[in-house]
Amino acid sequence: METRERLLSAYRDHLLEHGGPPASVFKFTRDLGLEERAFFAEFPNFDALESEMWRGLVARVAGAVVAGPEWAGFTSRQRLLTFLFAFCEESLAWRSLLLQRVERCGPIPRPARLRGLELGFKEFIGPVIEHGHATGEIAERGMLREASPEAFFLHFRAVVDFHLKDASSGYERTDAFIEKSVALAFDLLRTQAFDSALDFAKFVFARPA
Amino acid sequence: MTAQDSIRSTPVTRMVSLAGTGAQVGLNYLKHYGRRALGNATDTLDEENAGAIFKTFSELKGGPLKLAQMLSIDQNLLPAAYARTFAQAQHSAPPLSYPLVARTFRREFGRDPHELFDAFTREAVHGASIGQVHRARKGGRELAVKVQYPGVAESLQSDLRIVKPFALQILGLRESDIADYFREVESKLLEETDYVRERRNAEEISAACRHIPGVRFAAYLPELCTAKILTMDWVDGETLDRFADGPAGQDERDRVGQALWDFYHHQVHEMRVFHADPHPGNFVIRDGEVWVLDFGCTKEIDAAFYERQFRFVDPGLLHDDAALMAALEDMDVVLEGDSAADRARVVASCRRWLGLLARPFHAGRFDFGDESFLREIYELGEESRKDNVLRTLRGRRGSPDTIYVNRAFFGLYSLLSRLRARVNVRMPDFVAGRLAA
Repeated sequence: METRERLLSAYRDHLLEHGGPPASVFKFTRDLGLEERAFFAEFPNFDALESEMWRGLVARVAGAVVAGPEWAGFTSRQRLLTFLFAFCEESLAWRSLLLQRVERCGPIPRPARLRGLELGFKEFIGPVIEHGHATGEIAERGMLREASPEAFFLHFRAVVDFHLKDASSGYERTDAFIEKSVALAFDLLRTQAFDSALDFAKFVFARPA
Repeated sequence: MTAQDSIRSTPVTRMVSLAGTGAQVGLNYLKHYGRRALGNATDTLDEENAGAIFKTFSELKGGPLKLAQMLSIDQNLLPAAYARTFAQAQHSAPPLSYPLVARTFRREFGRDPHELFDAFTREAVHGASIGQVHRARKGGRELAVKVQYPGVAESLQSDLRIVKPFALQILGLRESDIADYFREVESKLLEETDYVRERRNAEEISAACRHIPGVRFAAYLPELCTAKILTMDWVDGETLDRFADGPAGQDERDRVGQALWDFYHHQVHEMRVFHADPHPGNFVIRDGEVWVLDFGCTKEIDAAFYERQFRFVDPGLLHDDAALMAALEDMDVVLEGDSAADRARVVASCRRWLGLLARPFHAGRFDFGDESFLREIYELGEESRKDNVLRTLRGRRGSPDTIYVNRAFFGLYSLLSRLRARVNVRMPDFVAGRLAA
């Protein structure tokens, strides 16, 4: 196994077994039989390593759904739904870790160690949004165009939070949450509703010079 | 226990209204969970046909408030009235997305629909009571696949909790008076969320009724059925309401009507287990035969209750005051604490009701095309409802088992009226035996 993979895997085990990060990079690498410098060749600190761990999780799920046989025929809404359901499914193998590392911090603020979730998700959602523009599912938003990935990411975090707090059998309420929230989001995105709201807000709150 | 609880409906109207309630809750429940067949895709005749077949289902929606509305005795006492409400277009909620359907498949079978079937529609072709139906094909066999909405049992319970206070308010009832009925309705609705049970019911009833001429049942594919997914043969044809409103001749109407009557007669009087959801969307007519769909709601009654309930069709009872009184006391419709005046009133009201509702049984051959029959039922319902003396009687009366028996018979009468069918009606054997003696 490459050093990078070993570090990621050992860090994950450590979090799960000890309920938190190792005391120091020195201790962590010595337990692995590595030199401390081997760690820094890969990551500047634990937060960066952890961030990479989360990015990898999101990227693996995204890679699997994009490779599915039905992907090409899906609308962007179906693509997003497929990803979110697959993520929830996969995250069952990560639930303890997610509960430990994610639940306590809401969508904002975003600690550096979780940045990978955002990076991984935005890599995935970019092409999905493009597809939505192409199919007309998502209105061309002009000034809000750059904000779309951010809005989808906040939604993704809301889904993850909901999933972690969900106590229904088989996490069926999460399924309903995903289904309904994505339906609502795409209903809003298909029109200029957001833009109109923003335009109106600007009109109401802007003071003439 | 009768004294302090004030209730505002007659024993009989309440039996009737709660039968209506049973029906209404069921229908409403359809409304709440039935999903509009998505898409304007009417490219092919098949899809158009499918859309038409289950149009009634698919237009139905509504929230707890609608449910409360349905529980009201004011409008929805009778089939004629509920049919109207039922036909009203309701606001719609979106159907399940394909990814969620696929997720349900992965949970149930560990595989996607496209791995299990040769073809599978991504869009639902119509809503079912608590799920939606996709059309599929496997090995040259055309299939209907019913997928249950995730979490439906839970939301059903919470809906009923929300509705209950409204319902009590609207009906002017005390919770203690109606608790049994609510429990009955709730447990029946929850049963519908168990597809394993539905398949068992369907297979049991269809095996026992296979000999009845003109009645057919779709076969299931057991290896593709779970508690959340049902796969069965696709049935092409017209729903009963479309058939009834179409150009079919009297002979054909009589044949279809007779098949329905025989189907219910056998279930109620021989099996004592019956399909308790006689809604026109649950019957499809093909080549003059009735295909029975959707066994989600079935009701089983025990032998003792069966005899107590159906002895009321004995015409002799109507002319024998003492026997009628005894029978009504036995059913807890007349209570010990009732004054003589109240008793007289209740008995008089019951006599009129029974004379009317049992009329097909007394006639031997009955023409349901006679519109005056349903109109009379409706008018008597209105009259009883407005009778203030009957309205203010107290206590818990009647048995919750009557809800689904009445639902089945009101539904059946309504279907037959719609068909304008002439039907041969047999007395239940035990009554016929008594009459012969």
